[in-house]
Amino acid sequence: MKHNALRSFFICGLILIGMALFPLFTNNFIIRFGTDILMFAIMASAWNIIGGYTGYASFGNVVFFGIGAYTTAVLMEKAGFGFALAYASSGLLAAVFAILVGLPVLRLRGHYFAIATLGVAEAMKALVQNLEITEGNSGIYLPMLDMSVRGQYYFFFYMMLATLVACLLTTYILLNAKFGYSLIAIREDEDAANSVGINTTYAKTMAFSLSALFTGFAGSIYAYQQAFIKPEPAFTVHTTVKMIVMAVFGGMGKLFGPLLGAFSIEVISEILSDHFLVAHALFFGTIVILAIVFTPKGIMDIITERKLNVSYFLENIRKHRV
Amino acid sequence: MLAQIVINGILKGGLYALMAMGMSLIWGVMDIINIAHGSFIMLGAFTTYWLFTLLGIDPFVSLIFSISILFVIGYGIQKYLINLIIRASAFITLILAFGIEIFINNAALVAWTADVRKVKVAYGASNFSLGDWVTIPTVRLLAFMLVIVIGTIFFFILNRTDLGRSIRSTAQDLDAAQLVGVDVARTYALTFGLGVGAAGAAGTLWSILFPISPMMGGILTLKSFVVVIIGGLGSMLGPILGGLTLGVAEAMGSTWFGSTYENLISFTILVLVLILRPKGILGGAD
Amino acid sequence: MAILQANRISKHFDGLVAVNKVSFVLNPGEILGLIGPNGAGKTTVVNMIAGVYPPTEGEIHFKGKPIHGLKPYRIGRMGIARTFQVVKPFPGMTVKENVAVGAMFGARGKRRSAKEAMEKAEEVLEFVGLADQKDRRADQLGVAFRKRLEMAKALAMSPDVVLFDEVMAGLNFGEIDQAVQMIQKIRHSGITILVIEHVMRAIKNLCDRVFVLHHGEKIADGPVEEVLNDENVIKAYLGKRFKELTH
Repeated sequence: MKHNALRSFFICGLILIGMALFPLFTNNFIIRFGTDILMFAIMASAWNIIGGYTGYASFGNVVFFGIGAYTTAVLMEKAGFGFALAYASSGLLAAVFAILVGLPVLRLRGHYFAIATLGVAEAMKALVQNLEITEGNSGIYLPMLDMSVRGQYYFFFYMMLATLVACLLTTYILLNAKFGYSLIAIREDEDAANSVGINTTYAKTMAFSLSALFTGFAGSIYAYQQAFIKPEPAFTVHTTVKMIVMAVFGGMGKLFGPLLGAFSIEVISEILSDHFLVAHALFFGTIVILAIVFTPKGIMDIITERKLNVSYFLENIRKHRV
Repeated sequence: MLAQIVINGILKGGLYALMAMGMSLIWGVMDIINIAHGSFIMLGAFTTYWLFTLLGIDPFVSLIFSISILFVIGYGIQKYLINLIIRASAFITLILAFGIEIFINNAALVAWTADVRKVKVAYGASNFSLGDWVTIPTVRLLAFMLVIVIGTIFFFILNRTDLGRSIRSTAQDLDAAQLVGVDVARTYALTFGLGVGAAGAAGTLWSILFPISPMMGGILTLKSFVVVIIGGLGSMLGPILGGLTLGVAEAMGSTWFGSTYENLISFTILVLVLILRPKGILGGAD
Repeated sequence: MAILQANRISKHFDGLVAVNKVSFVLNPGEILGLIGPNGAGKTTVVNMIAGVYPPTEGEIHFKGKPIHGLKPYRIGRMGIARTFQVVKPFPGMTVKENVAVGAMFGARGKRRSAKEAMEKAEEVLEFVGLADQKDRRADQLGVAFRKRLEMAKALAMSPDVVLFDEVMAGLNFGEIDQAVQMIQKIRHSGITILVIEHVMRAIKNLCDRVFVLHHGEKIADGPVEEVLNDENVIKAYLGKRFKELTH
């Protein structure tokens, strides 16, 4: 047991060092691609807190991304904030928004929660499209980062990496604390969790808020990187779908599942769009369908179980068909 | 003025009701949230567009084709894909439906490009006046009446036929239905076919009234959600009431606040109804 | 003084009266039985005590403090633990984790770290005889073990009062006897118990007192022998079945 934990720490450390060093040896294009993967890894890992561990499949997490992006844009462009302060405010505002929305919405379960969160994200998009301070559909510019081009690539890569590490570390610490048990208990049986003394409302609202915090951070970095944002990409439901698919594909409720999912989905998408300019999204849809039918537990499960054979892939169908 | 707004809202609301009927049926019977619903509406719309553009078939006549084609597609998808994992958690089927949505939309994009198209029928702009102050577009009225006809057929199938009985018993208790000899796999496939067929019909009517494109489905799925949630699950009356409510609310809202607020209004209604009356305005308070 | 007291509590569902003005007291250290035919409102009473829903009218006091209308987790932390008639384990967790969650958040939860809760869980598993099952996933257990896990989860909460809702349903004779011994052991550890049960031999062997619900109303209350021989009770509920079971 002790030995295993030590080995895991060692492996994690090596991977982290590898990730931190890799931009130094490659070109800008690859760094940018790595930055994108990290951004989705943050969002998928953050989604994992509420969707994977707590069992509340949010279909509106992009709202926190959009809020983060717009908070940074508005604060930097209109209020003259520096990025550091804008970054912190973005995460916090998203987290507070999650608490306010979460209190009523987290009373809903299953489909109803999914659709309510979807509705919140769409309503927020429509609001941003109509507000003056966000400059509606025409979008909003941000001040440029004053650095060499290479420096900018480094900056955004390491910001994303640091945020991802913070997200995973927070999740890891919480999982081993009582709070983590309360989330998993809620996922497994919410009524039983409540009767056993867990303040379920508090626990799931906090989980939602944490999920929002890190998603908001990702939005903030994204806005600064893009230097220009509009409601449509910032609040698009496709971002939500992507983070969920990544979390599921990698392994929901597993610490490194979403990271693995983000990496594989992004790499697959990149290869596909290299070869099939128009049809790559079509293949993406196919991958989602195949993954959900044959490997709903994600690749983390395949790695840890080491049962790579036909019957493993057919197990889902055998259990759940009519 | 007000009467005109309400009538516009009701006419559009009828179409919303038809869109939501199929979604409500699939949701109520199989607990599947069909995210791909809007994509099926899009396929129905394009069926009509191509039949009209290539063969000159009148859009209202093409209704028969769009319903049958979409029925077959829906039947096949349920039978050979969704049925494979139907007993898994609702979340899994939701993601599967997302995969189907992405697939259909992008297949349509590859096949037909992102161009926005219109079905230009000769009678498209005709209308008539009622009294001095209300103008009714003929096509919209016709579409509305068709919604009523299709809704009635739907109601008949569900309540007066053997298929309807097996659908309803399966919805109540899958295992019990199986025990008394209902072929659940087939019933599910037929249910999905019916729901998607209704989406096809909605697509046809939509294509007569509004421009269409491969990416039109997303917002229609969301609108269908709003309607189903407002009306609540479990009865044919729900989607109708929900559709009319949404139609009128949107018509009024966009008159008073401007048409850019249309989506803000629908999604605010969606969230509020879910929070305040999760069983829909027809269902009891929670 | 009574540790738990219900004063004329009622529950209405959509105009239907499930429980009608029922009062009872639970004295410290006793085992009180609650019996009645299916649909008599027994589980509704448990749910009201546990805070699943508030009583439509009436009051419930625990150690002198009103608890009606409180959320389940508050009541759980005050020292009332319950089991569910249809057992509710956390299926994906191991047996030990299931029990540890009870120890983490129950009456003494605030003072226990996650690690201490694990130790407490070991202790409780030993007590209920599930120690050799502790690393299995909860959803892989059979009925008897599941029922026992349900009891272990409740005990890990370090409660003063436990509400056992049909923990013997579906068990065979041998298993029932084991459960009866277990409940007696629990009482000797100082915990006050309310048992809802259909199994008459268990009621007879366990309870100091018993009260009977019928159509949501209390029709008898007193020592077991007395109540089981009560004319009304026999007519309303027990009848032939009781005779079959006792003789």
